[in-house]
Amino acid sequence: MNAPLAPSLSFPAVVLWLALLVPLLLGLLAWRFPPRRMLPVLLAGTPLPLATFWLLHRVSAGGELVGVWSLGELQLHWRLNGLAGLLLLLTQLLLLASATYAVGYWRATVLPERAFAGFWPLLGGLAAALGVIWVAADLLTLYAALELMGLTAVGMMLLPGKGAALVAGMRYLIYALVGSLAWLLGVALLLGASGRLDLAGLAATTEPGPVTGIAMAMLAAGLLLKAAIFPLHGWLVPVHASAWTPVSALHGALVVKASFFILMQLWQRLVPEGVAAAWLLGLLGSLAVLWGGLQAWRANELKKVVAWSTVGQLGYLMLAFPLLAGTSAAVATLAWQATWLQLAGHALAKAAMFMAAGNLLLAAGESRITDLAGTSRRLPLPLMTFGLAAVTLMGLPPSAGFTAKWLLLQAAILAGQWLWVAVLVVGSLLTAAYVFRVFRCAFVEAAPRHEVRSLPAGMDLIALLLSLSALGLGLAAEWPLALLRGGGMP
Amino acid sequence: MALSGELFPAGLLVFLATACLLDRHLLRACLAFIAFALLMALAWWRLDSPWLALVEATLGALLTGITLLHGLGRLGSRSSLPLRDRERRPRQQATARWLAALVWLTLAGAAVWGVSGNSELAASVEVTRWVLLATGLTIMALGLWAFAHHLHLLRRLLAFNVLGSGIFLLLAGLAGPAVEVQGLILVGLVVSLIGSVLGVALLRRLHAQDGRVVLGDGGREEAG
Repeated sequence: MNAPLAPSLSFPAVVLWLALLVPLLLGLLAWRFPPRRMLPVLLAGTPLPLATFWLLHRVSAGGELVGVWSLGELQLHWRLNGLAGLLLLLTQLLLLASATYAVGYWRATVLPERAFAGFWPLLGGLAAALGVIWVAADLLTLYAALELMGLTAVGMMLLPGKGAALVAGMRYLIYALVGSLAWLLGVALLLGASGRLDLAGLAATTEPGPVTGIAMAMLAAGLLLKAAIFPLHGWLVPVHASAWTPVSALHGALVVKASFFILMQLWQRLVPEGVAAAWLLGLLGSLAVLWGGLQAWRANELKKVVAWSTVGQLGYLMLAFPLLAGTSAAVATLAWQATWLQLAGHALAKAAMFMAAGNLLLAAGESRITDLAGTSRRLPLPLMTFGLAAVTLMGLPPSAGFTAKWLLLQAAILAGQWLWVAVLVVGSLLTAAYVFRVFRCAFVEAAPRHEVRSLPAGMDLIALLLSLSALGLGLAAEWPLALLRGGGMP
Repeated sequence: MALSGELFPAGLLVFLATACLLDRHLLRACLAFIAFALLMALAWWRLDSPWLALVEATLGALLTGITLLHGLGRLGSRSSLPLRDRERRPRQQATARWLAALVWLTLAGAAVWGVSGNSELAASVEVTRWVLLATGLTIMALGLWAFAHHLHLLRRLLAFNVLGSGIFLLLAGLAGPAVEVQGLILVGLVVSLIGSVLGVALLRRLHAQDGRVVLGDGGREEAG
């Protein structure tokens, strides 16, 4: 992708593509020399978010960066607007947190040496794929990045190498492959109908009609499968139940969101007026909120509670489609901001929650909720982190989840779409129900004494920082929202 | 080009795809797939995409073939899988899968009809195009059926590969020999290969662990 450089090569473009591709190099380096301590990982990764921060500053001052790579006759388009930059920043911070956490995880558990080394190139590939997805502006680049993301994610899920992980990984692989074929068919139809692949060109030339509709349905089916949107969520929970904690954190926080991001980009350009289909997606999202919440409430294992809660929280994102289709500009702006804030808040909170849950399980040596009895006294810090992350998921002030759901509520009321108001209320109640179920078990006093293992302090600290940043994002939401207003909405 | 000259390789492709997907003898099915991939490479050659032909022959036929045979235990591995697929899908699981496959196929057929109906290509190219589209749709239908129906994981991987090839043919038929098409197919071939390698590696581990060749558990979700 880098070889023949287009005339659009400017300093910010070089910084951007270095920030996107350096993780790949770092991953390969760490494969050869797996890190033993947290600090080197932290130091090696820190320049990346700083570079993105600088780029965001440029974007907010001078408008979006646009460019084309030419490979022979092939043109690959990319652009960096406020939204893509914010998501890139979020990705890099979460990847950095997970990478640092992974070192602690390796020290605290007995992971096979080879599997731990294999984690790093996969992490680098995932980082590059996610970054390219945020900035890609044509379907070919998106296809390549989406598949790289899917395959590295499957690879990471297989690292434990045990029975349950193998079955879950195989199922995930099959779902991912079907999803990729559905996507490819959709792209084929669009290419046949309009003869181009860049998003801007597609938005300009595509006319609404049966072919566009079917192509979008195919693309959406593939993406919904990869994003684990109800009723295509079957692969998600078993996969998380057996994966390593840092992998779960990354997957729940970012990988499923990337498919949603692509779907939203395409939807806005190809069928912005498809009200009926948008309502269908909204209804699927509502069912996901209810079903995910119910299953999380019923689940017996802590990791399954967190995984089911991902299914439910993803549903909120889908409510954006009906609120953006054919509504007034005020409603659309509110829904647009709410969606990305919800995505960012949930990503931070969910990574924190997976890590806190992982710490609890690791320290207590139990995986069932009922066996966590008495942990409130012995493991207050992970439990508090879990609770802080849950504040965002429940949508209590002052978290990002609260601001996002508040904006969503305003949008739904303003548009007169009362159904979503009910979904928001019930969803929050369900979230509270499953979170307090965990707490009720943890606060049982009459419990036999378990041995508690001590973990590296960094592991608790990272989880705590993530959950605090999810809270802080609610207080400091003005900066990202201003960037979103500046650019990003198609 | 004469119609018969187009129809013969197309018919052979469909025949090989059918043989690959229907045969319960797994070694024969894998060999049929390799022949199918070689014929696909020939098709790309005839469509003036020599690079694509080379990639298809290397990735699609050679490497995927080696992977599949290795998975069966015929090539460079000590233990081997049973050569016959004896799994049968219980009847009550089938309906939703059939429905999903049919919806996919109907939508794809309608869209292909819609796209090719309002394009103004010269009549001489038209024949090649229609043959490509018809072959692509047929092979896609076969792949979809097999993917929805089979339980054996190796056969599902075969079905996935065939389904992918069908979509590549459709892509070439819909959009002509554009450079974007070649890029998409290239990425698609790499993805198929990596998917097959991962799938076969997993299948071998599962088989070594508890002798299973399917993802069997009762209430599994619908795969679409």
